[in-house]
Amino acid sequence: MIGLSLITMKTRHYTHLWFVLPALLVYGLFVLYPTLSAFWLSFYDWNGFGNQMKFVGTKNFQEALTSSIVYRAAWHNLIFFIALFIFQNTVGLFLATQLDARPRLVEVYRAILFLPVIISLVAVGFIWSLMLSPNIGFLNPLLRAWGLGALARPWLSDTTWALPTVITVQAWQSLGWSIVIYLAGLQNIPQELREAAIIDGATNWQRFRNVTFPLLAPAFTSLTVLTFIQIFRTFDVVYVLAGPIGSPAGATDVLGTLIYRTAFGVTTMTTSSSRFSYAIAISVVLFVVLGLVSTLLLTQLRRREVQS
Amino acid sequence: MTDVTLSRPAPKVQSNARHRRALRFDQIGRHLLLTIVCLLVLVPIIYLLLASFKSVQDFFDRPYGLPSQWAWQNYVRAWNEANVAVTLTNSIIVTSAAVVLSTFLAAFASYGLSQRDKRLTAALYVLFASGMLIPVQMTVLPLFILLRQLGLSGTLFSLIFPYSALGLPLAILILVPFFATLPSDLAAAARIDGANEWQVFWRVMLPLVRPALASVVILNGVWMWNEFFIPLIIAIKPSTQTLPVGIMSFVGVYSTEWGLVFASVVVSALPVVVAYVLLTRQFVAGISAGAIKG
Repeated sequence: MIGLSLITMKTRHYTHLWFVLPALLVYGLFVLYPTLSAFWLSFYDWNGFGNQMKFVGTKNFQEALTSSIVYRAAWHNLIFFIALFIFQNTVGLFLATQLDARPRLVEVYRAILFLPVIISLVAVGFIWSLMLSPNIGFLNPLLRAWGLGALARPWLSDTTWALPTVITVQAWQSLGWSIVIYLAGLQNIPQELREAAIIDGATNWQRFRNVTFPLLAPAFTSLTVLTFIQIFRTFDVVYVLAGPIGSPAGATDVLGTLIYRTAFGVTTMTTSSSRFSYAIAISVVLFVVLGLVSTLLLTQLRRREVQS
Repeated sequence: MTDVTLSRPAPKVQSNARHRRALRFDQIGRHLLLTIVCLLVLVPIIYLLLASFKSVQDFFDRPYGLPSQWAWQNYVRAWNEANVAVTLTNSIIVTSAAVVLSTFLAAFASYGLSQRDKRLTAALYVLFASGMLIPVQMTVLPLFILLRQLGLSGTLFSLIFPYSALGLPLAILILVPFFATLPSDLAAAARIDGANEWQVFWRVMLPLVRPALASVVILNGVWMWNEFFIPLIIAIKPSTQTLPVGIMSFVGVYSTEWGLVFASVVVSALPVVVAYVLLTRQFVAGISAGAIKG
């Protein structure tokens, strides 16, 4: 449609669209078309293979919105997000202020802290599944060697500890990311403002609370929204550490693994246990909620930025 | 990321001796704290490196020590038995092709979309940006079916095209504001000199956004190299698997060969880590640019 109008109206008003066209074709074919067909498929009963498709209306959605397993997975995502949010805004932010004081070797510290961010979550998952392994691992033997054997536990197979352990691994991986985002935000704060606060006799805490933190609002907004999106789509780290069923006993099951398992079966591509269109319906709900909450978060947090 | 000058004017309150001592204690405490946190980050990575040289027996005998013998054969066997020779090649081809394609497409599109006064640009910008929210679990099976219909499944194109397309939203979010800050007089002057639209873009505008292009290349390169979920579903043939999936399927078969698994993990992480060590500044700036602009 756009292409046709481009040919008929050779005005300069449309030449810019020629530049957009190649990207739009690739994006339309490989992102928008699968997205739309996912929406369409979510109203059918289909196992993902073969020709047996039955229109079922909103049945998949009704089931998704009343399934306790879906809510349990979403709840785990929420705990995951809240824990990371707190971690990033305490430990991450504090370490960023320490780097912002420009100690010697600041570049080295920053480079090391950021290193896990570029390593894949699959690799990170493997590192930690070995570190935390009950028998051949690192942490439990070390605790025993230090006489703290009572603290040693099967971290990833204990229903109480599995989810906090997975969250800790993710926190380890993404710490550098929050530090770097806050550090960039801190370095954008005009030095005069902080000096003015010092001259006015503000304490360290007062300076942080009333000058620095409000001016960090843009960094806070980005970090919060991006973490929210990232955590509600999380899959890799849970899959590697706890497998597709979110073991033990679903204690680490998140929406990412639930959708994967529902769509493709526990072992990949077994048609028997896969309920593809139901999985799609769950992911459509996730997409809509993500869109709404992210927009809400963005508008609310941006408003706060303007006020401060 | 802007660098603040190292010589900030020292606030006057620090002049007396007691304050100076407090300040020095502050600094020591700060270094101590940062060193501890850095160790917490480094220990698992060093542990991984050591583990990749251990024999199976060493995992039981020396859980946190050095390997009794440095088992280089872990790497040799990973290369042959864990299919690393194939998956590493695939990862390199897929990542570089998709990064190049995605960056060029995004640069063209962003140049067009940065002309805010023109038709449809705002709507198209939102359309691209909304791609950030799409959960990949939702689109991956329709994508799989599409790739089969296009005859691309079983080839590396089945990863290159989806990666390129999925790299566009973030790239466009970074590039459009960058293009928008370039003065429009530049393009106008080039047009008066007789340049056509293509020449204006390629000769005048594109060279000016090079720093943003570097961010896009790094950001997309890192995620494409590390991407796990899409190839897990799409690359069902072993000959098209990329490193992360290759390691995972190897684990499924040889669950006790820890040394081989960790040698593969080291190989998978090494190229990105080497690039990171060489270009730390660009990496940090690039990846945080994605967050700050978004």
